[in-house]
Amino acid sequence: MIILLQSDPASTMKHKKQGRPGELSASAAVSAAEAFIVHSICAVGLAVSFWVAHSLHSITLISHPFQTLFFIWVVECPVVILLYSRYRQNRYECSYLRAVGRGLLGLLAGALVNAFGAIALGAPVGVKYLSSTVNWSMMMSLFVVVPAASVFGSSWTDWQRLFALTKPVGTVEYMICLPAHGALIGSWFGAWPMPLDWERPWQLDHGLGFGISEPSAC
Amino acid sequence: MAGVIIQMLGLLIFVFGFFPVKPALSGFRYNSVSVLVFSSILSEPKHCGPESFCAPGFDSIQNNSAGNLPPDKLRSLYQELSGVPTSFDKLIVMVVDGLPAEFVLGKDGKPLRADLREAMPYTQSLLANGMAIGFHAKAAPPTVTMPRLKAMVSGAIGGFLDVAFNFNTQALLDDNLLYQFFKIGWKMVMLGDETWLKLFPGLFMRHDGVSSFFVSISIADMNSYGGSLLFVAAHIYSALHLSCELLKLTSNMCRIPMLQVKDTVQVDQNVSRHLSDELSRYDWDLLILHYLGLDHVGHIGGRNSILMAPKLKEMDDVVKMIHTSRILNQMNNHGKTLLVVVSDHGMTDNGNHGGSSYEETDSLALFIGLKNDVPTSIQDTVYQIDITSTLALLFGVPIPKNNAGVQISEIFKHLADDKKLRALELNSWQLLRLLQAQLPGVSCNEVSGISKCNGSLEKMFCCLYMNAAFLHNSWMSKAVSRLKHGEEYNTAVGAYNEFLRIASEWLSRRITDKPVNLLAFGVVAMLTSCLILLSLLYLTCKEDFGRERICLSNFENSSMHAWHLDEAFTFGVVFVLVISMGSSSMVEEEQYIWHFVASTLTLLLLRKAIQSLKFEGAQSFFSLFKGQNKTSGFQTSSMALFLVSGRILRGWHQGGVNWTHLPDISKWLEQAGGDYIKAIQLVTGILVMTLSLISLSTLEVNRKLVKVIGFCFLTPGFLVLHHILKHQGSMLAPSSYNATMLVQTVYLVLGFATLGTVVALPWLSSLSTSKTCSYYNSYVGPSDPVELRNKSLLVEFTNSLFVIGWAYICSCGQQNKQWVEIAAVYYMGMAGHYALGNSNSLATIDVAGAFIGISSHSTVLSGILMFIITYASPMLAILSMVMYISVKSSNYLALPSYMDSGELLKSMLCLPCLVPLSLNSILLVAYTVILILMRNHLFVWSVFSPKYLYVCAITVCVYIGVSVVAATVAYTYSVVVFRRTIRASAVMEDT
Repeated sequence: MIILLQSDPASTMKHKKQGRPGELSASAAVSAAEAFIVHSICAVGLAVSFWVAHSLHSITLISHPFQTLFFIWVVECPVVILLYSRYRQNRYECSYLRAVGRGLLGLLAGALVNAFGAIALGAPVGVKYLSSTVNWSMMMSLFVVVPAASVFGSSWTDWQRLFALTKPVGTVEYMICLPAHGALIGSWFGAWPMPLDWERPWQLDHGLGFGISEPSAC
Repeated sequence: MAGVIIQMLGLLIFVFGFFPVKPALSGFRYNSVSVLVFSSILSEPKHCGPESFCAPGFDSIQNNSAGNLPPDKLRSLYQELSGVPTSFDKLIVMVVDGLPAEFVLGKDGKPLRADLREAMPYTQSLLANGMAIGFHAKAAPPTVTMPRLKAMVSGAIGGFLDVAFNFNTQALLDDNLLYQFFKIGWKMVMLGDETWLKLFPGLFMRHDGVSSFFVSISIADMNSYGGSLLFVAAHIYSALHLSCELLKLTSNMCRIPMLQVKDTVQVDQNVSRHLSDELSRYDWDLLILHYLGLDHVGHIGGRNSILMAPKLKEMDDVVKMIHTSRILNQMNNHGKTLLVVVSDHGMTDNGNHGGSSYEETDSLALFIGLKNDVPTSIQDTVYQIDITSTLALLFGVPIPKNNAGVQISEIFKHLADDKKLRALELNSWQLLRLLQAQLPGVSCNEVSGISKCNGSLEKMFCCLYMNAAFLHNSWMSKAVSRLKHGEEYNTAVGAYNEFLRIASEWLSRRITDKPVNLLAFGVVAMLTSCLILLSLLYLTCKEDFGRERICLSNFENSSMHAWHLDEAFTFGVVFVLVISMGSSSMVEEEQYIWHFVASTLTLLLLRKAIQSLKFEGAQSFFSLFKGQNKTSGFQTSSMALFLVSGRILRGWHQGGVNWTHLPDISKWLEQAGGDYIKAIQLVTGILVMTLSLISLSTLEVNRKLVKVIGFCFLTPGFLVLHHILKHQGSMLAPSSYNATMLVQTVYLVLGFATLGTVVALPWLSSLSTSKTCSYYNSYVGPSDPVELRNKSLLVEFTNSLFVIGWAYICSCGQQNKQWVEIAAVYYMGMAGHYALGNSNSLATIDVAGAFIGISSHSTVLSGILMFIITYASPMLAILSMVMYISVKSSNYLALPSYMDSGELLKSMLCLPCLVPLSLNSILLVAYTVILILMRNHLFVWSVFSPKYLYVCAITVCVYIGVSVVAATVAYTYSVVVFRRTIRASAVMEDT
């Protein structure tokens, strides 16, 4: 799962390179190399958070799911927000700090949306599962919503183009769109093996079920 | 008209494409079972004579003469041939229905819970003193009474379809223990469950049967007619409560009314009342007692019901009574008695049974009266079928021919070594004979030395048997070592046990020979019908495409042909389902898949709704698009609402097999208490009624008609409310009879109202609006009985709202393709089916709910009710197609008028009927193929076969639903057309 976690942004990177790097967006032209660097920084952040969790606190996604998730999103949060805020749209009207603020706001709002989605798809509801659901949706929000929030703010058209129609234009939008969809689709597929009776530890508590496996696959 | 004919022809083709399959399907197992029986009889024309006591492969000494011997001579002949001394003369079999062995023996070697030990003090003391020896007897699924009884007396793993006949038992024709006893002239007495009488008609000298759900009024001892009436009412009432229980809606505490205590007690009192009389008589050889009360207690209150301890105590008293009067007291000249306490199956924590979990298959085999001085601390696990051969050997009768069980060796401990070996030999002969009947290649002739056993199946069995026989012979030849437990003795026993174990496992796991031709024909027929359906579907879709292109070519670009995500998903779901059916755990937990798929589809549709929101949202300041934007905004919000309600529905029941213990809403409600449940039931009832009234009144029909229809459907609604108010809480006895009356009234009113509306409405209503109106009503009609019939099932309301809401949402989304929507409704129905607490295990069928409001035992009526309750959700989904069509029909009316009326009907009816049919046919074919592939899988009987039964039932459900829909729409349409032509001709005449 760790491998999966790390390889996912990387694979989307490859995808992106084969895409249409030449197109320019209105706000900022970003070269493929730069996009690659941004994504590798994200991946490194992810790896660091895993390493910290594993070596300093000796927890893993399997043994302590929500603590680890907490670590991931706390470590990854500044990385993602600070990185993506650099690519904000209308950079003359919108200051860097404002973009960061938007990102933070997006984190919370996105967490709500993600939690709704997860619960609708069958994640258990209850005080017992609250912490894992919250942490998971924070993390998902970090990958899915926050970049877009930092870059676009509240521009409905852009949001819709990216998430409802999946028609990104330009490198920046690909940078946002591909990891987000990768995370969503990966987590969706990650929920499939839950009912199987392999009796693996990460399956053991079906209550956590969808909550655990989704991050583990993204 | 041509269109109608084409449509009818198409439907006929489906029907004919499908229905030849049916006999092949149902014959599938049943035939194969009977084929096995016949083949084993045919291969041994000598019948079950003394040849059981000869080695297979050699000619029987007294070929046919044994069949004609008088019973007592036969008995002595058997005694002589058997070589295993019979230590008992009389047998008492006490069947305690549904008693898990865990209650008597504990689990996994751990000591018993204190409360259970106190509940059965006498039995526990017997076990502790070594007077009794108990086993966990693993029962084979399906764990329902009749197949288990068959297994116990014949030793064979029965056909799976037995479960379907559980409530309508036929006589058992196979060779069995009781028949063998009968042949040697035993006199048999049976007290208890009627199933025995149906299985073995005419075998019993005296009997007093009780029925599982309805104690027949003809029981002579009933005090008065009133009493018996009360009694029947009590049963119905308990059935009512059982249904609540099965849906876990009623709290544990408030569900102990005095009547039910009486009910669970009375069934057993009817058994026990003759017991002391029978125990004092000595004219019988076999006494069968079948106690149903414990099973009833389980159904009502689950394993931990507070009625359980008294019931166990009662059973303990029976054991004590028998033991003190017969076994301890056998110094007289009436011979020795063996008491065998068995249970046919266990029960889950909720008290259900039918599936294959440990709790359900953990049944008891307790032998009391054996000479066993040392208390056995470790209880082995044996198989339920082992009881047969053990009893047959103990009493010196031939082992029933189809027995696949192995004798329980602990029972024969007291015998001398050669007798023990003889018993093993007899059992081996019988199994080898059965093997020979099933595998013609098994023929063991030359006795050689010991060899390594490998190679083909036939060779391996043969070699294992020959090894055992060789060791046995060599041990026999050395008279010196016969006196003590020698090395050779142990190796011989080991060899026999190995052969027996392997042969038994193979025999009980083996799928019996299937008639290959029938099977192939069935698969081919299903495949063709599936292909026909699919091609028809494809053609219709193409046609629709073409038409839409003509109509909309001006407005839309070629994006119509793009393969949208939701369509791809809908299509992919079928493959996902097919693949998931190949995995046993996916079958067990299928509800997760359905829910996951359904909600993902909703999410995708939500995404689509947002897509369309964009175009208007971007220019929301243009007042021009305001109305349209509102529509998609409404669509989006309703999707979200739908997601939420779907999640609630899923949370209602933690279904499946492995995770049922997790909390869900129904368990929470159960804990909250009866008042909450009552309140929620009332609220939902009123909500449903108001909603339907509102939607009725929005129709533009004349007031009078609406009032009449509204009244028709309100009456049962109020009756249901009245029932909930009056009877749900109070547990008073006399009201339960009224309750039955009430329920019957509701059925009647609903039935007539529905029929009347559907038939009469097209005629009465004004021409212009008649179509929509009648569609609507015919929808409300069929769906109402479905939801109201399960009136104690609160969930039903939620579900129906859910489906109706879905249908509305679907019909709002104009840009979705029709077949996607229909498929979505179908998925919805399936998701609802599992959300209502059904699963692919037979244990979840709401048997008790089927007896609501039926005052006499009728297999057909209760079967229909059971079907409706189980398949309420898919049925409702399919029936909502009627409304769907009515909403959609407005689209068609806008189409150019060059289409003639027949074609209109065809286009309306085609997709809604075709899509569920073809979806279902794909699943049916796929599952049949999977079942054939999986026939040697370990879980074939426990997981795959029940699922197959469900698949067949859902097929029937789809047929019924689709034909109802088609008939309603066609009827309404033809009436409208007829009236229109009449009016047209009238106008013509006027002018």
